[in-house]
Amino acid sequence: MAVQGENRPAWIGLTRVVIQRVLSALLTLFLVSIVIFIAASLLPGDAAQEVLGQSATPQQVAALRHEMGLDQPAITRYVDWLVAMLSGDPGRSYIADMEVSDLIGERLRNSLTLAGVTALVSSVLALTIGIVSAINRGSKLDRTLNVVTLSLVAVPEFLIATIFVLIFSVKLVWLPSIAMVSPDASWGDMLRSMALPVLCLTFVVTAQMARLTRAAVADQLDRPYVEMARLKGVPFRRIILFHVLPNAAGPVLNAMALSLSYLMGGAIIIETIFSFPGLASLMVNAVTSRDMPLLQSCAMIFCTAYLVLILIADVVAILANPRLRS
Amino acid sequence: MIRSLASRAAALPLSGRIGLALVLFWLVIAVFGPLIAPYPVGRFVDEEVFSPATSQFWLGSDYLGRDVLSRLIWGARYTVLLALGAAVLAVFTGTSIALFAAIRGGVVDEVISRTMDTLISIPSKIFSLVLVAAFGSSLSLLMLIAAFTYIPGNYRIARALAVNLVGMDFVSVARARGEGAIHIAWREVLPNMIHPLMADMGLRFVFIVLLLSGLSFLGLGVQPPHADLGSLVRENISGLPQGASAILSPAIAIATLTVGANLFIDALKGKGDS
Amino acid sequence: MTVEALPLSRRGFVSGLAGASMLAIGACSGGSGRRAPSTRGAIRVATQLSSTSDTLDPAKGATATDYTRHFMLYNGLTTIEDESLVATPSLALSIDSDDRRNWYFDLRRGIRFHDGSELTSEDVVFSLLRHKDPATGSKVATVAEQFEEVTADGKYGVRLRLTGPNADLLTVLSQSHFLIVQAGKADPDGTGTGPFRLSDFQPGVRTVVLRNAEYWIEGRPKLERVEVIGIPDEVSRVNALLSGDVHIINAISPHSTRRIEAEPSCAIMVSPSSLYSDLIMRQDELPTGNPHFVLAVKNLIDRPLINRAIYRNMSTIANDQPIAPFQKYFNAEIPQRMLDLDKARWHVRQGGLQGVRLPIYATAAANGSVDMASIIQEYGSQVGLNFAVNRVPADGYWSTHWMKHPMTFGDTNPRPTADLIFSLFYDSKADWNESAWKNERFDKLLVEARGATDEGLRAEMYGEMQQLVHDKCGLAIPVFISLIDGYDKRLKGLRPIPLGGLMGYRFAEHVWWED
Repeated sequence: MAVQGENRPAWIGLTRVVIQRVLSALLTLFLVSIVIFIAASLLPGDAAQEVLGQSATPQQVAALRHEMGLDQPAITRYVDWLVAMLSGDPGRSYIADMEVSDLIGERLRNSLTLAGVTALVSSVLALTIGIVSAINRGSKLDRTLNVVTLSLVAVPEFLIATIFVLIFSVKLVWLPSIAMVSPDASWGDMLRSMALPVLCLTFVVTAQMARLTRAAVADQLDRPYVEMARLKGVPFRRIILFHVLPNAAGPVLNAMALSLSYLMGGAIIIETIFSFPGLASLMVNAVTSRDMPLLQSCAMIFCTAYLVLILIADVVAILANPRLRS
Repeated sequence: MIRSLASRAAALPLSGRIGLALVLFWLVIAVFGPLIAPYPVGRFVDEEVFSPATSQFWLGSDYLGRDVLSRLIWGARYTVLLALGAAVLAVFTGTSIALFAAIRGGVVDEVISRTMDTLISIPSKIFSLVLVAAFGSSLSLLMLIAAFTYIPGNYRIARALAVNLVGMDFVSVARARGEGAIHIAWREVLPNMIHPLMADMGLRFVFIVLLLSGLSFLGLGVQPPHADLGSLVRENISGLPQGASAILSPAIAIATLTVGANLFIDALKGKGDS
Repeated sequence: MTVEALPLSRRGFVSGLAGASMLAIGACSGGSGRRAPSTRGAIRVATQLSSTSDTLDPAKGATATDYTRHFMLYNGLTTIEDESLVATPSLALSIDSDDRRNWYFDLRRGIRFHDGSELTSEDVVFSLLRHKDPATGSKVATVAEQFEEVTADGKYGVRLRLTGPNADLLTVLSQSHFLIVQAGKADPDGTGTGPFRLSDFQPGVRTVVLRNAEYWIEGRPKLERVEVIGIPDEVSRVNALLSGDVHIINAISPHSTRRIEAEPSCAIMVSPSSLYSDLIMRQDELPTGNPHFVLAVKNLIDRPLINRAIYRNMSTIANDQPIAPFQKYFNAEIPQRMLDLDKARWHVRQGGLQGVRLPIYATAAANGSVDMASIIQEYGSQVGLNFAVNRVPADGYWSTHWMKHPMTFGDTNPRPTADLIFSLFYDSKADWNESAWKNERFDKLLVEARGATDEGLRAEMYGEMQQLVHDKCGLAIPVFISLIDGYDKRLKGLRPIPLGGLMGYRFAEHVWWED
């Protein structure tokens, strides 16, 4: 994150950072595709065998392999995929007999909505908890919040999800127990059916973000400049808003980006429990059916989401903290 | 040595002492527990399933009529030892690589960092799923997978800390003295980042406990009839509506273990800062 | 494909659920009537599996979800509609055969596909022959090998010649894989003659079908709209039923039945079936090929414990052979094998097997196998056999582990006839002869029974085959697993058909909604 450059205007430095990061992101994406390809080729069986299942005859497997192009050498398949991908074509699913882009389309929208809503709810909650605890360090409130957030981190998410379903769906019948969102559903309907998954994911990621926020803010509060500002009579609220938070922004945003990237690929258990048609379960599906083009595309999306989040975190941190710009 | 440890423990704040007590409790259970387990872990001892606690079965019976207490004791052993082993391995490896990258800098740093980004951006549970499907699930493999999953996260933190320290005067002085890279890493940089690293290890420990329970949800994990704590929660989940002891006990075990570990580490960190 | 001309739109459905939330207040105080309001004949079904390999092609069907979808869209030449498991003509008006090798099907006139075109012999010939083309990827390609020649005889007649006589052909043809699709469609798109028309199909997400108002059977179907979704997690599936979000679910664990029975508006339906998970002991490897080993293992299986602990007394105790007590030709004369540690110990000593160490491969893909393996491991340790349970992921199990180690678990779905189960899994030349056992007498009886016209003789032959399998085959079959469905009590007309859950996957055509 160390940005070189002397006294040039801020945006030049920033642009350089962004360009540099986009280039290295492309390198990362390339590496991910290789890792995925190698990992997937370690898996027993191939797409043809998985499709035909228990009852496959050798002739059928051979015929299907040929149709899928699995009789080509691995390198050829990878290069073909890469060339197509670079020209913007993610290819055709081996299994579903559909374009990968069609399979992914709606699910990507669902996953992004789920992650977006959860991100909004959880980051507001986490920042509030973190800042309040840090300001009241050592107080009863702080200690209570600490133990509560810790305990929440400590409950397996499938248990949280099941408890919520039992309470809100089975007992109270307030919210649907399954989150099948349909394209023609209104926003209100969609939010209703996503309420429980969002609630569960919020529980999972908020605690972690809150703890890191507290640590970063507390760290800044210990710095001499806070004491100086107080002695000069600057109101405490002002110190927090204009001095402490911008300085704490770096680590806080980084931690938030990491937690939020979890909301895409890490939501697999929540997606399973609520039958939510999202990308993570699609990727698991691609693994079990050995559907390489689909698997690669999912991995690319998750990787991009992560890189974009980290980039945003860094850029915002630089903008928020004037000292990082020079 | 022991006395100094004891006095340090006594100097901890209350929360730290509670944390330490919980951690020690689970460590003792993990090491000596099987000696006191009343029944073999796979024995079917109860005609009923999900029965409540009785004098015969202190924590009731599970979904197949096995003794929950015995299974919990064994489960704690797997969870504590697996997670501890994996956390130590992840932090050791991640930090070593981070020190190397930070001290070398330049292209080496860039290549390593991008590789770590690669690994961190692949969803960990799905990646574990692939690895277990490819290599089977033995205890050592489970530990390696869990460690492997958390190396990149530890690397990010350790590298950020190390890069800051490498830029400091005392490191430049050591370099000027002509000290080797290993000396600088081991003697100059590492001692100054040990506290945050310990805190990170505590968090990794918790994450690994949860990753293991997440894996058990996906049907991967310790081989039956044994089960780690997460698998115990998972396999008894149908007892949740009736609040069976078979599901509550392992859930409470996970919570006390992870909360204890973190309280203890927080307390240590607080002392280190002051 | 998503034209929603239906009495209850997706939006209506959700607002229906919103209505349920208002009723919930009444539930807290009063109790009864907390359920979702009437669905007016539009129901939601949740099955266990749904993935991108979901298909509209009956030949490729692999899961309960697929079979259910196919029976809604297509019809077969024959059908099985009750627990007698007798196949009756469906699209065929009449069926004739003198020698059980040459068959003639006379089709019903005036039956129309969903696109309005008429069903003819051409469609039937195409539908039957496509199984023999490897490119189709049919799940029943091996069964279809017996179709020597299929020809059209006029617009409504079909002639089928088999490679040898088969008295069970009509039952074979009633399976979902042999449902009739339109001629020329290599990838069937859901256009069939069945009781429902396809409205929306997204692999791994949902299938929506609407009532076919021109269905050729008077008065059917009674439901207006059926939506099929997959909820792979069993606990979630049960929760979805209890909360009124879905109206019928399949593959319930016996451990969940109490929860459903405790809910006044829901009920369970137990279909006894001949589904079994079997422990395979390979006869071409050691020590599993040692006859004493096989008998030792068969004698240390605590079947009542498996029935009680794993299946909550909802399974049927089995006797190491694949014909269930409620099936035709079941041989009741064979003494029931029970847990007998002394006998097991004797076989261990006789076979010189003391201290044998061997892994048992078990998986979630074979129903109950992980827990069964744990039980066998526990008793094995008491007679000097040291088994280790090796649980492997369901993913890739069939291609990587099944039958590939000395001891693995298999999982065999119900088949409608004794001939099918024996020829697919016990014939020494069969691809799925799981334990690789070879018995000449058995192979000979199998061929003879297939063509036998005298029922008494046939029963005798099947009886002897069961005895042979019980005594000598390297398979231990502890129990027959019952299939358990859960449903909203307002759904009427459900009855068990032992071929599978959800009335042998055919429920949608038969049931109706009543408030």
